Amino acid sequence: METADLKRQLKEQIIHFLNLTTVKPEDIKDDEPLFGEGLGLDSIDSIELIVLLSREYGINIQDPKEGRKILSDINTMVDFIEKNRTK
Amino acid sequence: MSRIFITGMGLISAIGDSVEENRISLQHGRSGIGDIQFYQTAHAGKLPSAEVKYSTEELNKKIFGRRNPTITRTSLLALHAAGEAIEDSGLTKEAIHSPDTALVGATTVGGMCLTDELYHDANAKGGGTPYLSSYDYASVTMAMQERFGISGEISTINTACSSSANSILYGARLIRHGFARRVIVGGAESLAKFTINGFNALNILSSKPCAPFDRDRSGLNLGEGAAFLVLEREEDLKGKKSYAILSGFGNKNDAYHPSSNSPEGLGPFLSMKEALESSGLNERDINYINAHGTGTENNDETESRAMIRLFEKVPPFSSTKSFTGHTLGAAGAVEAVYSILSLVHQELYPSLSFQNPIPETGLIPVLQFIKKPMQHIMSNSFGFGGNCSTLIFSKT
Amino acid sequence: MAYFHLPVCISPQNSFPEVDLYQIRESKNNLLEVMEPAYPGIPAAARRRMGKSVRMAVGAALPILEKFPQPDGIIIATANGGMEDCIKFLNQIVEYNEGLLTPANFVQSTSNAAASQIALVTKNHNYNITHVHRGLAFENALMDTMMLLKENKDAGYLLGSTDVISAYNYNIDRNAGCFRDELILNTHLFQSKAKGTIPGEGAFMVMMNNQKMGASAGLNSVKTIHSIDPLTILKTLEKFLSENFMPGEWPDLLLTGEDGDERLLPYIDIVESSMDKCVPVARFKHFCGDYCTASSFACWISMQIFETGTIPELLIKKRGATKPVRKILIYNNFRGAQHAFILVSAV
Repeated sequence: METADLKRQLKEQIIHFLNLTTVKPEDIKDDEPLFGEGLGLDSIDSIELIVLLSREYGINIQDPKEGRKILSDINTMVDFIEKNRTK
Repeated sequence: MSRIFITGMGLISAIGDSVEENRISLQHGRSGIGDIQFYQTAHAGKLPSAEVKYSTEELNKKIFGRRNPTITRTSLLALHAAGEAIEDSGLTKEAIHSPDTALVGATTVGGMCLTDELYHDANAKGGGTPYLSSYDYASVTMAMQERFGISGEISTINTACSSSANSILYGARLIRHGFARRVIVGGAESLAKFTINGFNALNILSSKPCAPFDRDRSGLNLGEGAAFLVLEREEDLKGKKSYAILSGFGNKNDAYHPSSNSPEGLGPFLSMKEALESSGLNERDINYINAHGTGTENNDETESRAMIRLFEKVPPFSSTKSFTGHTLGAAGAVEAVYSILSLVHQELYPSLSFQNPIPETGLIPVLQFIKKPMQHIMSNSFGFGGNCSTLIFSKT
Repeated sequence: MAYFHLPVCISPQNSFPEVDLYQIRESKNNLLEVMEPAYPGIPAAARRRMGKSVRMAVGAALPILEKFPQPDGIIIATANGGMEDCIKFLNQIVEYNEGLLTPANFVQSTSNAAASQIALVTKNHNYNITHVHRGLAFENALMDTMMLLKENKDAGYLLGSTDVISAYNYNIDRNAGCFRDELILNTHLFQSKAKGTIPGEGAFMVMMNNQKMGASAGLNSVKTIHSIDPLTILKTLEKFLSENFMPGEWPDLLLTGEDGDERLLPYIDIVESSMDKCVPVARFKHFCGDYCTASSFACWISMQIFETGTIPELLIKKRGATKPVRKILIYNNFRGAQHAFILVSAV
């Protein structure tokens, strides 16, 4: 899959998974922080996203602290998915 | 306003099936945390928990002498503890059945310990199981109402992990306002896939026995149990034995996050402060705090900060969750009984598994069983949704 | 006496934002479901974590909180609050065999979510409690608030209730025989005698304080009882009447929780027949359906009756003396075992 397509798909998955009903994929900038500022996600969301990576891409992140780096923004997530996906 | 006395107590937990057995375990530092033996879950053997050491069938036999196919483990634990409390208080049958006797229960899983049955019934997979009216929170209190024949006011409270601290303070207020002369108050909880997997999904269950207030604490262990107390008015005692006075309470909300305390522990601070004010006591009067102390990174540090803010010198404190695990909806009542035991016997029970203080706060809990003269004890319970409650018990 | 101010009710009927009780919305497929309003006041970030029962509760509370921004406490009744998220999480547990699960449903499933979300959205640190005692959860919330208002005379409290029909509690209660088997409309609920009722849902919020000025109603007294014996209910009623009325004095209206289930009729009959012949009788569950905190809808209806000075025709079961309605006795019965008397009066 092309990186651009993966980004689009990931954004849609995040919106669906976190029930971000008022957000559209194009509202999420690739380099905008997902947590705190930007989308304003919190600690519960970070766990939800770790589950998303496991269910959709077969990636298991054991250490939640490591997870937080991977989940910084769309670019870091996509980079990690491309290198580690098992499905 | 008439003072509220505790005249009966009953308790079943991972460290004993009576108040006295619990006291002996506390004195000897015997924790009830270990591998799950009875409850069927994929996490048995991996996530240490504090299970009551009886199968549901054995509990049924203990209470009813037979199997009882509509009653859940949570209700059985409640019946066991409340039965002990009622007997201990010496309430006559007449008093128990009187409209002047109220009952306030608390639980956060109710009958949802029956995960597989609930899955079947909620998704309408075939005909109903025998448990159709046993899943909700009220089912636990209703089982007690039927068993003991309570005809006074009855409520069930669910404010997550502070539920039974709130059932105690609501019961006390029912007495103060003349809705009852005596109340049976407490809470019950059993292990459930629901809570095991819920807390596990939040990454706050420890794979080791919990270490409250320790620098390297790695989360909580779930526990199960039930505790009930009988509260009566001073003017009805007439020479009757009593254990302690419920001298104050606080109920505040942290209003910060659905599942964690604010960094400075504002809710815990406000709740302890309100309890002190309502008791008319000074912060220097508190001789011991039975802390909420779950062993999670967030709770222990924020609770420590709140204690430091309120107390010029933080009194001795410990977390008995290192013995019982976190019994959620029962925790407030379980720890109320332990606080009262400490007052009656003038003794303090240690916090287990503690090694190093949290660097930012530096607080060290009670680490050994000690005898100590005490007048007033505070007990904290904080829950999801920011629900913070504090009780203060005083020596009679 | 405690007083109700600014009542808000989100119900299967036309109750929010505009009120019209002279038309009745019909049930669909034996359900009386709420048509949810848009809730412009709920912040999107908070809303995404709210199930229907929490959304309705917060949506009903916000208009009140605009006028009373910091109540001295939040007292909520809900028997099934969070049930929908509970079962979603339970389904995950079973379907993923206790593997890697998402925690949001678990966090949202706690029944204190409505009370705590209201506190969170408004940064309210005051008294906060959730009563969950099935068919008497709302009555306990009323009693809690009455006690608070005696403890703190100048205070004001947000009191409310919320319960929804989720696919799950519907399945459980249907299997337990609580609902009608045959297809029936709420408008015909009382025309056939059979077992079972139709389920409903709703959220009610109100500000309570000791100020008579501007109040929608006063709360005189609440009494609850657990019993399956109609005679015990009668004795409780007689005592309640003697405590709240002078000899020979009667309520101006009896409003009952008759729900179309013939098993409840012995209780309804004994309460109705113990009233003086001139007391009119009305009922409300064909409007809101049956749910654990439905007596809050009866309180809301009472406030509408006081406000308009008339009893909506569709509620009336038996006519009585035509005099102004000043005192309404509400008798609710939840599935034969939990009973409540609530006395409210015009100000």
